[in-house]
Amino acid sequence: MPESEALHASHVLEYPYSRSVGPVIGAFLTGLRDGRLLGVRGAGGSVIVPPTEYDPATGDDTGELVEVGPGGVVESWAWVPNPLPKHPLARPFAWALIRLDGADTAMLHVVDAGGPDQVATGDRVTVHFRPAGDRIGAMADIEAFVPEGGTA
Amino acid sequence: MAERCAVIGVGQTHHKSKRNDVSIAGLVREAAKMALADADLTWTDIDAVVIGKAPDMFEGNMMPELYLAPALGAVGKPMFRVHTAGSVGGSTSLVAAHLISSGIHKRVLTVAYEKQSDSDAMWALSVPQPFAAPLLAGAGGYFAPHIRAYMRRSGAPEYIGRMVAVKDRINALRNPYAHLHLPDIDMKMVEDSMMLWDPLRYLEACPSSDGAAAMVLAAEDSISGSYPPAWIHGMAMRSEPTMFAGRDQVNPQAGRDCSADVYAQAGITNPRAEIDVAEVYVPFSWYEPMWLENLGFCDLGDGWKLTEAGATAFEGDIPWNTSGGVLSSNPIGASGMLRFLEVAMQVRGQAGEHQIDGARRALGQAYGGGSQFFSMWVVSSDKP
Repeated sequence: MPESEALHASHVLEYPYSRSVGPVIGAFLTGLRDGRLLGVRGAGGSVIVPPTEYDPATGDDTGELVEVGPGGVVESWAWVPNPLPKHPLARPFAWALIRLDGADTAMLHVVDAGGPDQVATGDRVTVHFRPAGDRIGAMADIEAFVPEGGTA
Repeated sequence: MAERCAVIGVGQTHHKSKRNDVSIAGLVREAAKMALADADLTWTDIDAVVIGKAPDMFEGNMMPELYLAPALGAVGKPMFRVHTAGSVGGSTSLVAAHLISSGIHKRVLTVAYEKQSDSDAMWALSVPQPFAAPLLAGAGGYFAPHIRAYMRRSGAPEYIGRMVAVKDRINALRNPYAHLHLPDIDMKMVEDSMMLWDPLRYLEACPSSDGAAAMVLAAEDSISGSYPPAWIHGMAMRSEPTMFAGRDQVNPQAGRDCSADVYAQAGITNPRAEIDVAEVYVPFSWYEPMWLENLGFCDLGDGWKLTEAGATAFEGDIPWNTSGGVLSSNPIGASGMLRFLEVAMQVRGQAGEHQIDGARRALGQAYGGGSQFFSMWVVSSDKP
């Protein structure tokens, strides 16, 4: 019996969505553009980074914005030995949850550590921003976090 | 209905073309916090949250109920999402009410929203599909032929649509939350506006709005707040496919069945005489006379005569859309809930300048999709 040919067609679906980010995430992104890391004080006094408009546990409004970092602690990590073109770095790196100094929550970002033997839970890292002229107010304004005191 | 259920808190945002000052979470919280304050409650008093919005593709934000759970105080509580296109705000209100009437919960927060400035509904409604003829017409292009069919059947004159467009915009001047405030609106301004989808002109179509609506619903033993409760006397949803042989797109069976069910529950036999005020989903002017007939306020073919005679105007005997309606504010997902919320405000006596004096019993209606999803409720200041 001859194999039947499946009907197929190309279908491109694209549309540029926009986002208004509001007063809290907006302030965080503006901070990144200015080379500062901001968190927000939650209902119980804890500092949430990245900041939210509401305490995620209670739903109450959050309070003042507070500066955190630039250093922090690696809480957990996963090594990416073969980065793909869409990854933030072209060389091997770690995805890591980083709790910035002054923060009570961890934020997901990149650690540029050289090799998997040079990153560990509990390690201290510090932020490495892109040059001021290249920053646009986005998470990628942070190029990576790097081991404190430079790569071993 | 097993347990009695009432609206005890309402909240809505100022509806605008671009709420660039808030995130989506900020937008829904604005309405939700207002509803909680109206009910004199806090997040911790709420048992469950029910949220609705139009299709996710509008903002490109998939399953937004997941990320909005903590924004709505729903951590550790049941949270439901409802999807019924443009009628979703109405259906969402009904799902929330069912959680009370079934005896499952005591106090439910229900929220609906749309942030059209983050999206493009016209685009999302017109995405070309493989192997199908492109529509590329948005909602107005879909409804315009059905409006022409109504005009042909009923013999309605062309100016009826313009009368609805003017009436609802004049009503909106009484509503501080309405998106469109057009103090100079008149028949000529509508007639001079651009033809979009014959016979619909620009000013006979709804605006594109950012906005949110919220209500707190409660069981009889959990009533709070300073305004009296709006008791639900009847509620129903009906759906039918977009297309099938013999379908009446002008006067859909699902709409007729839905209103018949709600009127039977509420003991209404003569809607025009027994309903004091109604908020009905009229996104394009001609849907007022069409829904007057579909909802049984008059005989078939007579809807436009009620509009023409001023029966549906603020001073008429059956005021429709005293808030300005969908023609004056259209945050799509929230638009249906605004109809349900506005009638609750009327029977609670909290509608301010667009309050109909002595409103005791009111009908809220929403429709969506290709006039295929219907949801309705009747609320009253009297306990059922």
